[in-house]
Amino acid sequence: MLKIILPSIMLLPLTWFTNNKTLWTNTTCHSLMISLISLSLLHQDSTNSYNFSTTFFSDPLSTPLVILTTWLLPLMLLASQNHLSKEQENYKKMYISLLTLLQVFLIMTFTATELMLFYILFEATLIPTLIIITRWGNQTERLNAGLYFLFYTLIGSIPLLISLINFNNTFGTLNLVLLSLKQPALSQSWSNHILWLAFMLAFLVKMPLYGVHLWLPKAHVEAPIAGSMVLAAVLLKLGGYGMMRISILLDMVNKTMAYPFIMLSLWGMVMTSSICMRQTDLKSLIAYSSVSHMALVIVAVMIQTPWSFMGATALMIAHGLTSSLLFCLANSNYERTHSRTMMLAQGLQTILPLMGVWWMLGSLANLALPPSINLIGELLIITSSFSWSNLSILMMGMNMIMTAAYTFYMLISSQRGKLTNHTKFLPPTHTRESTIMSLHIIPIILISINPKLILGLP
Amino acid sequence: MFRRVLQLGLGPGLLTRGLSTRRGVSTLDWDAKVSEFKKKIECILPGKPWETQLYDTSHLPPEQSDVVIIGGGIFGLSVAFWLKKLEKKQDAIRVLVVDQDHTYSQASSAGLSVGGIWQQFSMPENVRLSLFSVEFLRNINEYLAVVDAPPVDLRFNPSGCLLLASEKDAAALENNVKIQRQEGAKVCLMSPEQLQNKFPWVNTEGVALASYGMENEGWFDAWSLLQGLRRKVRSMGVLFCQGEVTRFITSSSCVEGPNGEEMVLKRIHKLHVKMDKSLEYQPVECAIVINAAGAWSGHIAKLAGIGKGPPGTLQGTKLPVEPRKRYVYLWHCPQGPGLETPLVADTSGVYFRREGLGSNYLGGCSPTEEEEPDPANLEVDHDFFQNKVWPHLAQRVPAFQTLKVQSAWAGYYDYNTFDQNGVVGPHPLVVNMYFATGFSGHGLQHALGVGRAVAEVVLEGEFKTINMSPFLFTRFYLEDKLQEYNIL
Repeated sequence: MLKIILPSIMLLPLTWFTNNKTLWTNTTCHSLMISLISLSLLHQDSTNSYNFSTTFFSDPLSTPLVILTTWLLPLMLLASQNHLSKEQENYKKMYISLLTLLQVFLIMTFTATELMLFYILFEATLIPTLIIITRWGNQTERLNAGLYFLFYTLIGSIPLLISLINFNNTFGTLNLVLLSLKQPALSQSWSNHILWLAFMLAFLVKMPLYGVHLWLPKAHVEAPIAGSMVLAAVLLKLGGYGMMRISILLDMVNKTMAYPFIMLSLWGMVMTSSICMRQTDLKSLIAYSSVSHMALVIVAVMIQTPWSFMGATALMIAHGLTSSLLFCLANSNYERTHSRTMMLAQGLQTILPLMGVWWMLGSLANLALPPSINLIGELLIITSSFSWSNLSILMMGMNMIMTAAYTFYMLISSQRGKLTNHTKFLPPTHTRESTIMSLHIIPIILISINPKLILGLP
Repeated sequence: MFRRVLQLGLGPGLLTRGLSTRRGVSTLDWDAKVSEFKKKIECILPGKPWETQLYDTSHLPPEQSDVVIIGGGIFGLSVAFWLKKLEKKQDAIRVLVVDQDHTYSQASSAGLSVGGIWQQFSMPENVRLSLFSVEFLRNINEYLAVVDAPPVDLRFNPSGCLLLASEKDAAALENNVKIQRQEGAKVCLMSPEQLQNKFPWVNTEGVALASYGMENEGWFDAWSLLQGLRRKVRSMGVLFCQGEVTRFITSSSCVEGPNGEEMVLKRIHKLHVKMDKSLEYQPVECAIVINAAGAWSGHIAKLAGIGKGPPGTLQGTKLPVEPRKRYVYLWHCPQGPGLETPLVADTSGVYFRREGLGSNYLGGCSPTEEEEPDPANLEVDHDFFQNKVWPHLAQRVPAFQTLKVQSAWAGYYDYNTFDQNGVVGPHPLVVNMYFATGFSGHGLQHALGVGRAVAEVVLEGEFKTINMSPFLFTRFYLEDKLQEYNIL
C-alpha cells in the first residue's frame, strides 16, 4: 500500500518545487503513473483480502474505489487548468496540494484496516474539500454551500465517533480483518437501535439519503470543477463504502432498522429524479441525478444480499465515472458562456460536434444503457430489491423512466435546438477537454467488457 | 516560591524581548502584527461591533449574472420584464439591471417624456410595435400585477394624434396611411375643409392633407408606467444596481468569414460597474449584455470596442446614437383649443398636446441640424421658444397668440444620427451584446414591443412575434436607411 501512498505524498513536494512552466505537466504525468501503480491491487492472492500490513488492506470492495480515486486525480488536474490559468503561481500550487492531500486521505480511507483510522481520515477529507469549495468557487453562494457541507457531514459524524469508541470498549477491537472472523451478535434492544442509527447516520448523510441531501446540490454547484468531480465521484462513495463495512458489525439490528431508510431512499429516488426535470441550472441537474443514483446504492446496501452488494459496488464505480464526466461537460459549457443556465447554451451540436459525441456517450451511460456498467449495477440492485419486496419494482421502474427522461432533457436542450447569437461563436473544443472526456469514457467501456473487476466478488 | 517562578517565567521573556529590541528594528514588525491580530479576535467575540472589520457590500452588484442590462429606463425594464416572462421555467435566468441614476433625473423615458403614443409611422414594424404597446397598456394591470400593490394608473388620454401635411408631403402622408391601415391602425385622412369642421380652432392655411388617428392614440403618464414596470420586474426576481459601467473585459478570436475574409469576433466576459461618487467597482461576470442605455448607448458601445477600426468596414462602424437635447415647454392658454385637442404635429415640425384639465398645453419642436443645442447640460433655452416655436404655434392655432409659458424642461433624445430609427438585436462582431436603443424620441411607445423582440432573440435565437430584422445593426454598415416621415 505504501507503494501508492508514499508517491502520492511525494506529489506535494513535487508541486512546490517544480518549475512554474512545467507545473501542470509534471503533476498530471506523475499522478497518472501513480494510478497505474494502483492497478496492481487488482491481483488478489487469497480469497479474503490482500493484507499489506496491520494498518492497510485491500479487498475486492475497496480496490476499485482506490483505483477510481487515483485515476481521478490526473483528470481533475487536466480539468482545472483553464480556470486556474489566471491565478498566481502560489495559489495554483496550493490548489494542487489540496487535491493531492485529498487523494492521500482518500486512499488511506479506503484501505484502512482499523475503523478508527477510517473515521479519522473520513473526517480529514472534509477539510481540503471545504477549502476548495469556499476559496475557489465562483459565486457568493459558495460560503453558504461550504457551511451546509461541513455541518451536515459533521453532525452526522459525531455519533459515529461515539459509537465506534463504545464498540471498541465493549468488543475489544475495531480491526476489520479480525471482525470478519467473529461477528458480534447484537440483541434487539432500544440502545442497539440507537447504536445502529449512530453508526449509520454519518454515512447516510454522506451518501446522501433523501431527507438529509440538501448539502449536495449546494456543494456540487458552487464547487470549482475539480471539487465537483471529486465530490461526485469519490466522496459520495465513502458513505457507501462505510455502510458496507459497518454492516458486518450490526448484523441482527439491521433487519429491523433498515426499513425506514429503504422506504426513504425509494421515495427519494423518484423525488429527486422528478426535481431534475425542473432544473434550469445544468450543474444542479447533475447534482440531483447523483442523489438519485446514490439512493439506489443505499437501498442495495440496506438489503444486504450478495447480489445487491455486487450491484452497489458496480453502481458506485460506474456512477463515479459518469457523474464526473457530466460535470466536466457542464464545466466546458460554463467556461465558454460564463453561465450555468441551460437556456443560454442550446444547439451546441452544430458548432461543437466532438463535444456532442461526449455528451451523447455520457448521457447514455447516465441513463444506464446496456451493456454499460451503470446498467449492470442498476439491474442487480433492481432484481435484488424485487426479491426483497415485490412492490419496490414500481418505484424502481418509475425511477428508470424518469432518469431516461431527465437525461434526454439535459442532452437535447444543450445539444439540439436553435443556436442563439451569443452561442454562434464559441471557441472550439480544446484537445485537453477531449482528453478528459475520453479518459472518463474509456474506463467505462473497458470495464463493461469485464465487469467482474468492480462487482466486489472475492 | 511562587514569586520566583513568576520571575523565572518573566525572566527569559524579558530577556528575549530585550534581545530583539537590542538587535534593532525587527523586519517582521511582530508587535504590530500581534496587536492587529488581537484586535481582530476582539471584534469576532460576541458582544463587540464587527461592522468595522467586515465591509457592507449590499450596494454592490452580484459577482455573476447571466444577463446584464445596461440602462434602467423603459427599454431596460421592458427587456428585463420580457426575459423573465418568456423564460420557460421560473428563475431560469439571473438578470441584473444597472443604471447610473436610480432617481431617473435625466432619463429620456421617465418624467421628462411627453408620453405620446401614435401609430402613424411609415415603417410597418413601427406601426405594429405601437399597436402592441397600446394593447399592453390597455391590459397593463394584468401584465404588471404585483401582489398587495395598487394597480398602475396610466392616465391614458386617447385623444388621438393629428399629423398635418403641406402640399409637398401630402403624397407621402397618404402612402403612409395606407401602410398603417394595412397593419390594422385606424387612421383617417382629412381634407382642409373636414379638418376645419372637426377642429374649428385650426388655421388650415398651408395644410393640404391631415391624418388623424381615431383609436389607440394619445398620451399617458410615462413615469407611472416606469414605476409599475420597475415594481413588477423587481417582484419577478431581477436585481437592480446603481452604478456606471466603466469597462468591458473581452476576448477576441479570429474567424474566417464566408468570403474568406478575416473577421475578429469579440466576446464580453466581464464588465466593471463603478459605484457613484467613489472609486469602488465590482467586476460582474456575464453571459449576455444588453445595451439599453438610451442617450448614452453610443458611449457604452465605444467602451465595448464597437467602431474601433478603419471607417467603411464592419469593424469601423460605430453605433450612431448620441444624446441630443430637446426642450419641452408648458404653457397656459384659457382661449386655447380645449379638451378635444389631440397631439398635433404641424407641417413646420412643431408639436403640442393638452396637459391636464386646466387649459395647459405642452409642446416643442425639433431644432434643425444647425441649431442643435449643446447636450452637455439640461439647461433650457427660452429664446428658442420665442423665436422658433411660438410663431409657428400662433400661425397654426390663432388662440395661441395669447399664451403664457408656465415652465419648461429639457431632456435627451437617444438620437440615431443615421436614420432616426431604433437599433434592435445583436451586434455582428461583439457576439454577446444586444441593442435596444436609438429610437430618437419615439422610444417610449415602442419599448414594450422591442423588449419582447430582444427577449425572443436572446432566448430563442430569432424574432418570433414582430420581425425586427430591418432594425439590426448591420444596416449601418450596409448603408440601408429606414427613413421615417415625421420625427417629433
